[in-house]
This record gives sequence, structure tokens and C-alpha cells, in this order.
Amino acid sequence: MMNADSSIAIAHDRFIAIAHDRFAEAGTPLGGVRLPWLESLRRDALERFRRTGFPTTKVEAWKFTNLAPLARTDFVEAIAQGVADIATAVVDGYRLTPDCHLAVFVDGRFQPALSDLGRLPAGTRVVSLSQADEADLRLVTAPPAVDDAPSARALVEFNTALMQDGVVVHLGRGAVLDPVQLLFLTRPGAAPRVAHVRNLLVAEAGSSATVVETHVGLGRGVYWTNAVTQVVVASNAVLRHYKLQAEDEAAFHTAATSVRLQRNSAYRAFMLSLGARLARNELDVLLAGENGEARLAGATLARGDQHLDTTLRVEHATARASSDQDFRNVVDGRAHAVFQGRIRVAPDAQKTDARQINRSLLLSPAAVADSKPELEILADDVRCSHGATVGDLDKDVLFYLRARGLDEAEARATLIDAFVGELLDGIEGEPAQAYLRRAFADWTRKGARP
Amino acid sequence: MLNIENLHVEVEGKEILRGVDLVLPAGEVHAVMGPNGSGKSTLAHVLAGHEGYNVTQGRILYRGHDLTAMEPEERAREGIFLAFQYPVEIPGVTNANFLKSAVNAVRKHRGEPELDAIEFLKLARDKLALLRMDEKLLSRAINIGFSGGEKKRNEIFQMAMLDPQLAVLDETDSGLDIDALQVVADGINALRRPGRSILMITHYQRLLNYVVPDWVHVLVRGRIVKSGGKELAQELEAKGYADMIKAAAA
Repeated sequence: MMNADSSIAIAHDRFIAIAHDRFAEAGTPLGGVRLPWLESLRRDALERFRRTGFPTTKVEAWKFTNLAPLARTDFVEAIAQGVADIATAVVDGYRLTPDCHLAVFVDGRFQPALSDLGRLPAGTRVVSLSQADEADLRLVTAPPAVDDAPSARALVEFNTALMQDGVVVHLGRGAVLDPVQLLFLTRPGAAPRVAHVRNLLVAEAGSSATVVETHVGLGRGVYWTNAVTQVVVASNAVLRHYKLQAEDEAAFHTAATSVRLQRNSAYRAFMLSLGARLARNELDVLLAGENGEARLAGATLARGDQHLDTTLRVEHATARASSDQDFRNVVDGRAHAVFQGRIRVAPDAQKTDARQINRSLLLSPAAVADSKPELEILADDVRCSHGATVGDLDKDVLFYLRARGLDEAEARATLIDAFVGELLDGIEGEPAQAYLRRAFADWTRKGARP
Repeated sequence: MLNIENLHVEVEGKEILRGVDLVLPAGEVHAVMGPNGSGKSTLAHVLAGHEGYNVTQGRILYRGHDLTAMEPEERAREGIFLAFQYPVEIPGVTNANFLKSAVNAVRKHRGEPELDAIEFLKLARDKLALLRMDEKLLSRAINIGFSGGEKKRNEIFQMAMLDPQLAVLDETDSGLDIDALQVVADGINALRRPGRSILMITHYQRLLNYVVPDWVHVLVRGRIVKSGGKELAQELEAKGYADMIKAAAA
């Protein structure tokens, strides 16, 4: 039997070869004109990926998440071009609201015919990465907002080398876009496919938007979504960014979102992660301006053999900013949930207010939840707190509900609903909240099936 | 209504009830009084079916059927209600959603049609008025941010909603100031009716001034050591439990 390390090396070599073929085609890596700086940046990224390879569990940031099953899989790149033959009804089934602004991607490729972007408000632009201008390309290829070891960032480098498409959402000064949905659909093929999606969300000064990002698989099968999203929220802008990760249960999903917040801006994130065999959701937030506010929340619902990882890095680089992390896991079967939350407060980031809480509900004896808080506080006048709890449903509470006539299954369902529902209450905007509630209800129903 | 015969109960391997005999006829209100540690709360929990309480001997007959093998929810649906001494707090679950599920579980079991949202609200408003409680209670999470008095009133409100045959009130008077006690007692009295039996478990005689029992039992060291009319409660209030503890130990 081949050991994991050598198989990782083989897969790694294969990817490098693919990337070299791609670069050899020269042509137009991202649609538009050839940009020497971008080509060299992508070659450098590939070179760094070649040096580090896929992260192993020896890399601190990956100690709980073993990518070996992913690295062992022989992926082909998702279909190069073309219009996806997908019925509008399929798209509608995952749509936020019947009339929301909508950008649809299939197998990582923008689908204008399935999208609905004809009525965008003044001052807003939602386009494919192939139509990005040079300024957008500089922003979308910026390094992650928060530092970590190069070996921890290998998947981002890999994406930089191989990215082909994605979405650019640009809000001009004072523009309002509420809501827009980014819908990523993947059709599992005969061979496992990978799509390296690269997105940019820019909210200029005083603008406001709700962006709902949805990832779903159309049918059973192995595939890999490797997404990198860059977010810039300028002064006095508000960006609500809600994500539903509902990939097929045989799929891999890795995503790295990197957010830069300027003064008086607000970023509100919610991540509902319930799909994929193995998923890693990274969210890095740099509070770069005074009075910036990052409110980050999410629920991970894992069952069967799923492994779902949420990794946050929040950096307070400036005084008087606030951040709040509230993440909950519901883990059943033999599933494994991981939460890693870093808070770093720079030496002159006085009056920082940073909170983190991670709670896990284990519904079966074989379920596992790992929680790793990491606080590095270099300023002295700050308010920082963190906490983590792991437990089963409270027996006294279950008894109370049963003593009122609810049977055990109803009592358990009521408490799980409440545990997740409390977080969903915090989602701003009725359509987004209702959408994620539906996704949660679907998950619950699926679990209740014999 | 309720016949308890030679009931022995263990909690974590320790025998707490050591042969309780108690008869509560339909429509009567009985009080069980006793000092701390006498097994009062164990009696309440074992009647409601808490899994941590093991019946090792004896039986509990409720309307002629042995309860001991029944799940807590079956007992509730059959008309047994326990007002908890320490009602739990449940974040994220509103009183309305919870009570609607509970009421409909009981109604379904009785073969009655389930209440829709409007019918439920109408019933809830009537019962809230009885307990002098605000309608806002319905949209609040169960017992979150409630004072001790509010939690106890909420228990009696739930009792009113569930319309039980047998209500077991476990130290419903504890932690109440005199005004709250009056409201809770008025609520209980309003729920007295022919055919409904109430077992009031209490340390103090205080509640019994407001809700006058038909009969009083004294529980000491896991046994009923004395039963009598309501004047027994006053006697205990005057003399304390010391003599009875001594007699039980002898």
C-alpha cells in the first residue's frame, strides 16, 4: 500500500505539470490582455506551492485537518469553457429570492445565460473575473489580509497559479446592492474535477450590500472547489456576507476569504457549513481602520463521516475596532468539526474589543469537535474574551421537555433547532435569514429520514 | 387517582424512598411535607418519570395503571403534570412554540383536534390572565431572564395550559415573596376542580395557608410517618420536624 506522503507528492507533481502546461499556452490567463506582473505573480505562486506542497497536519494551522484524501485524488480541471446545459428550474431551486440579482457559476465558470444581472442598481458592477480590470486584478491577487506561515497558505498559492474564473462585485461610493447572490453549482463528472474560483468583493466608501454565496453540488460525486475571495470594505461601508456551503457529501471544499476593513466600516459574516466530505472555511479579517466592526458567526452541521473545519484569523491593527466571533458546531455520527479562532491585537491597537465563543453539541459518542482559540494580545488597554464549550444535550432540559409531553426525538430536535436558531436570528435581512433557515431545516429533515 | 404502594427508590445507588404508601383520591388536594433530605423531590421526580430515579420495589398506580415503566412523555400525555422546583432555562425556544407542541402532543394523545396558532393564542391569553402574566411571556425564550417568581408562575401557567388530571407541585412556594406567593396560590386555587388531584410538596406550611389541603402527609427519611388533616401542617409549623425525625430514627 502506498503511504500518504508519497501519494501526496505524486498528486502534487501532477498539479505542477498542469500549471506549467497552462502557462506554456501563454495566451490570456484571465480573459483580457496579457499582464506581465500578473503572469510573474502566478508563476511565483506556483513556485511557492511547489516548495511547500499540500499542507500536512505537521503545519500548525492544519493540525486538525488532514488533506491526504484530497491530495491523493487525481483531479482534472473542470471543463475549460462553454455554456452549461442546466435548466433554469435547477437554478431557481437554489435561488435566494425569485428576483434577486444573481451571478451563476457552473463548474467554476461564469454563466451569463443563467445569471440575472440586468437590473443592477447605479454604481454597482457584478462581472466575471474575465472582465475584471487591472485594478480589480491587483486587489483580487493581493496577499491574504493576515499573516500566516507560507506552508499554511499553499491552497491559496495553488489557486493563484491556476485560477480561471470567479466573480467581481464592485460597489461604487454610496451604492446599495441588497441582495446579490453568487451561486456556484458543480456537476460531478466521470473524473473528479477541481475548480479554482477567485472572487473579489469591493465596497467603496459609504456603500452597502448583502452578498449571499451558495455552493452546491448537482448530484453525487467527487469534486473539489478551491475558492479564494478577497474583500475590501472601505470607510463607512457595510457588507453583509452570508455563505451556504452545501456541497455534495463526496466533495471537497476549501475556501479562503480575506477581508480588509477600513475606518467606520462593518463586515457581517455568517457561514452555514453543512456539505462536503471534507471542508475548510478560512476567514481572515484585518481591522485596518478605527471603529471598524467585524461580526463573524457561523454554524457547522456535520454528520456521517464529514470533516468540517472553520479557521478564523482576526487581526486588530488599529485602535478602537471591535470583532466578535460566535461559532457553533452540531456534530453527529462519526463526524469531526474543527474550530480554530485566532485573535491578534497589535501593540498600538488600544481600546480593542474582541470576543470569541465556540460551542459544540455532540450528538453521538463517536462525534468529535476540536476547538483551538489563539489569543495574542500585545496592547494593554483592551477588552478580549473567549470561551469554548463541548457537550451533549442537557439531560435535565430534555427531561423538562419530555415531562411536558414532547417525545425524545421532538425534544432533541427542539434543542438543536434552538442552538442553531439563536445564531440564525442574528442574520440581517429577511431573505438571507429565511434562506439559511430553509437550508438548516432541509438538513434537519434529511437527518430525520430513516 | 394515585395509589403509591411500598415505593422504594434509589438515586445513584442510594436508597432515598424506603417504602412510601400514599393514597390521593380524585379531586383532592394533598400536601406532602418534610424536612430537607426526606425524599420530597425524589417523590416528585419519580412520579414524572425521571430516568435517574430507580424504582426498586413497590408500585405507583395512576388511575389503576402502573406508571413505573412509562416514559415521562407518556405520563404527561396521560395527564400527569410536574411543576418543577427549579424550572430549566432554555435559550432559543420560545414559550409559545414549546407550549404549542406540548399542548398538541397531549391533545393528540387524548384524540382531540390539535390547536392551530389562533386557537392556541386564545387559550394562552385566557390562562395568562388567570396568572396575571403578560402576553409578552409567549414570545420570550423559556425562563430566560425570568425572576424566581416568574419561573414559578410560568410553571402554573403551563399547568393551566396542559389541563392535567394529576398535578405534582414540587416546592412551588420556595423562593417566592409574599406577593408572588399570593398570585401563584390564586392560580392554583383557580385550577382546583372536581376530578383533578393535586399533590403539593413543600417544606413550609406557608403555601398551605393559601391553598388549603384536604390532607397532609409527613415524609421523613423516605417514609410517610404521619398523615392527618390540615391542622397537622400547623402543628408542624409550631413544633418543627425534630420529634418526627427522632421517632423515625428510633
